[in-house]
Amino acid sequence: MAKDIDISSSEAKFLIDSLKQGFRFDSRGFEEFRDVGIEFGKDFGDVTVTVGRTKVHCRISCSIAQPYEDRPFEGLFYISTESSPMAGPQFENGNNTGEDEVLCSRIIEKAVRRSGALDVEGLCIVAGSKCWAVRADVHFLNCDGGFIDVSCIAVMCGLLHFRKPDVTVAGEQITVHSLDEREPVPLGVLHIPICVTFSFFNPEDAEENIKGDLNNEICLIDATLKEELLRDGTLTVTLNKNREVVQVSKAGGLPMDALMLMDCCHKAYKITETLTDQITSELKRDADSRNQFAAMLSSENARVS
Amino acid sequence: MLSAQVGVLDQVDGSCKLQCGETSVICSVTGPVEPKARQELPSQLALEIVVRPCRGVPSTREKMLEDQIRGVVTPILARYMYPRQLAQICCQVLESGEPEEQYSGKELSACINAVFLALVDAGIGLLASVSCVCLAITGDNEQIQINPSQANLIKSTSTHVLALQLGAGAKKVENVLLLESYGAFDEESMLQVLHSGEMACMETALELRKVIEHKIREDFIWR
Amino acid sequence: MKEAIEIQPMTFHPEVLARIAPDLSMQRHLSLGLRPSLRALEEFRNVEISDGQLSCGSQNSVNRTGNNILGSNVLKSGKTMVITSITGGVVEENMSVHNPDEEESPELEQAVGAGGVEDHGCVYPVVEVERGRVGAPTDEEMNLSQRIYNSVLHTGLISKKALEVSVGVRSTNSDGQSSVLYPDADPSNALAQNFKPRRKWSYVLYAKIQVFSRDGPLFELCWNSLLYALANTQLPRAFVDERTTDLKIPVSMRGRSAAIRETFDILCDPNEFQPLMLSKDRLAFASNFAVVDIDPEAQLPKDDDDMQVDSPKSVLLADIQGEAEEASVFSTLSAVTDAKGNLKHFKAVGGGSKITMEMIKRSIALAKLRASDLNKKL
Repeated sequence: MAKDIDISSSEAKFLIDSLKQGFRFDSRGFEEFRDVGIEFGKDFGDVTVTVGRTKVHCRISCSIAQPYEDRPFEGLFYISTESSPMAGPQFENGNNTGEDEVLCSRIIEKAVRRSGALDVEGLCIVAGSKCWAVRADVHFLNCDGGFIDVSCIAVMCGLLHFRKPDVTVAGEQITVHSLDEREPVPLGVLHIPICVTFSFFNPEDAEENIKGDLNNEICLIDATLKEELLRDGTLTVTLNKNREVVQVSKAGGLPMDALMLMDCCHKAYKITETLTDQITSELKRDADSRNQFAAMLSSENARVS
Repeated sequence: MLSAQVGVLDQVDGSCKLQCGETSVICSVTGPVEPKARQELPSQLALEIVVRPCRGVPSTREKMLEDQIRGVVTPILARYMYPRQLAQICCQVLESGEPEEQYSGKELSACINAVFLALVDAGIGLLASVSCVCLAITGDNEQIQINPSQANLIKSTSTHVLALQLGAGAKKVENVLLLESYGAFDEESMLQVLHSGEMACMETALELRKVIEHKIREDFIWR
Repeated sequence: MKEAIEIQPMTFHPEVLARIAPDLSMQRHLSLGLRPSLRALEEFRNVEISDGQLSCGSQNSVNRTGNNILGSNVLKSGKTMVITSITGGVVEENMSVHNPDEEESPELEQAVGAGGVEDHGCVYPVVEVERGRVGAPTDEEMNLSQRIYNSVLHTGLISKKALEVSVGVRSTNSDGQSSVLYPDADPSNALAQNFKPRRKWSYVLYAKIQVFSRDGPLFELCWNSLLYALANTQLPRAFVDERTTDLKIPVSMRGRSAAIRETFDILCDPNEFQPLMLSKDRLAFASNFAVVDIDPEAQLPKDDDDMQVDSPKSVLLADIQGEAEEASVFSTLSAVTDAKGNLKHFKAVGGGSKITMEMIKRSIALAKLRASDLNKKL
């Protein structure tokens, strides 16, 4: 992602050599994802996700709009991933035409929007004339590698956390109820795609990799910025908890062993499972803290289930 | 009311996350760095200021915020110290705390305070300190609300943003860096706003100084 | 061996000096009691205005057909010319933003009138400063547009009520002749009364403000020009055809079907106009000022007799004009006020000289005088 950052050749050599000996700079295992921190804001759909030192803020918002003419039953959903110099001096403001920026936004788009993670039909209010337009704004705050993985978690957390105002439809007229007036409704999230990025390093020279029989590429999960700068190839797989592959992206770079793809998916599934569980438990904790008086205010009888 | 942490980001030279009531912004400063040829000023530090909204894409509203921040920051920076260099200031609004189509005062005041702290964190030379408050006049009895809540802002008849240049340990007002008022008001109420804004700016400045003090204590913990 | 070096004082043409040393030019002029624009310190430029006969609603318009300009103004101040043209469109109001209770009692709403910002309508201004080339809007243009937008919105010059469309109905009788009925034209007419549109429309106004020969700060000129243009804006009446008032189009897609109410055409009457109702009590005019410190070093030498005259440390200049003035002032004041001192917008930027309370008071007093002058031209 970062092209303008130069890494000294001695540091580069040290990093590769330590990888060859099985060590990473942050003493993680090769297949270990960094700790994920999920923090919800005061408003619905405001979430900050930290993975190691990478920090991404995502804000979900919605407004009423007119649906596309050829899709009158569907609402609108946009994801915007614009970088700013805040994440690091290598990013230019408002310039998202860099190869890596485009790749990042394309993968998130594929993983979340095109995979149907959000039920857009549920956003329809009056067919053909009014629908919700949901917008996810991803803000990169601090860059230490893994923007794709972190953004995906942030967008999904945001969508799961977001509540849209309730509406009543009477014929042609619709009334939007403010958040204080009526309990807002959650969005229909159909599955939680999780992206896992693998970075490949070639321990031998380039010739060996193309011609040789050895398939001894070093494969890292969740690379840091320095590792990203030095990697020879990358693969992003997106899975959900139902063991479905949502998206696979390998855009050139170091060729990898075909069988390794399956292996990577297996590794990614384990991560997907733990992350999904973490997301659901964090959401539950947030919901409980917002609703701490629910038990007191509830008129429901205590039942033994 | 106001809380801030500095040094929250590590890819930039200075950063600050600031909450003021319902509004929350994060600001980063990179500099002095080498500018692009078109930004370079032969004798002074050039500034690139970016404001990014909480939701949606940046529009003319953010452009105006950038211009207002530039107007406040330029006179307090020791720009002659860094000829042919650039400082990149980037503000990301995390929580707006006001209806964005109509107001921008709360975001502006939070951004200015955050930029000041981030500049200090980045160690760029300053000539004076600045603090900023947003004020609103509500009701028939012209009550002045300092850093109004969203509900009060919507009810208000006029909104004002006041940024003051402070010196002598934030105890002396040196100049009015920015006063921007919208709505319906008269001369007398504006002078009232200036008066209570001055008090509020002093208080804010003390809060900001506490943040800096805390930062320095943390930074020099090895002493 | 030494040669005597003769130093000749350099002299420049005033315009050249204004470019290479604006501050010196300013200080030298000030010491003469003048400004580089050769006006007195608190003297404003004269403003010439006309409607330019551009709008299709105006009686003496130069071209009435195929013209979509609803209001216009041409303002000249010094060598700067500002042309404002107002165009518009009709959009469907999102009923949802209103409380349903309010909808049922429009009289109540009308009585409130001057409410908060949510009752204020707006125009969408685009400022273009012509520089002889095209390209993306500059920062100055964007800031001006946004500042004018903010000021119009918060001033409440145009209430939302004034922008509502009272929709007429075009009916065609058996002879094939069509006529348009407006709800307010004939209250006894049953048809117009029975047809209560289930939808609401409102006008949106766009203002294109073009500036030629920029010569100093522009917000004030653009604002005043926009104000004059809005004052002569005529909104065309709009109607829908009787036959399309309740048009439904069935659609089905992927096994789902629904009747979709087509957004029917709303047409604008080319002949019938209504003036745009401005909130008269909120009309306010803009003027700008600058604070300049007097640098004793840069003053012209005076005669020995009047050496001891105490000159003020800083002075207030009204209506900034020209390169020397604009480049050497860093503290500016800008006020939008009416003649009575009801301020609508005030901006002070203190990048240089100290803005004192006296300066603020003085600028407001001058702005009030200026507003009463400008109001007469309306």
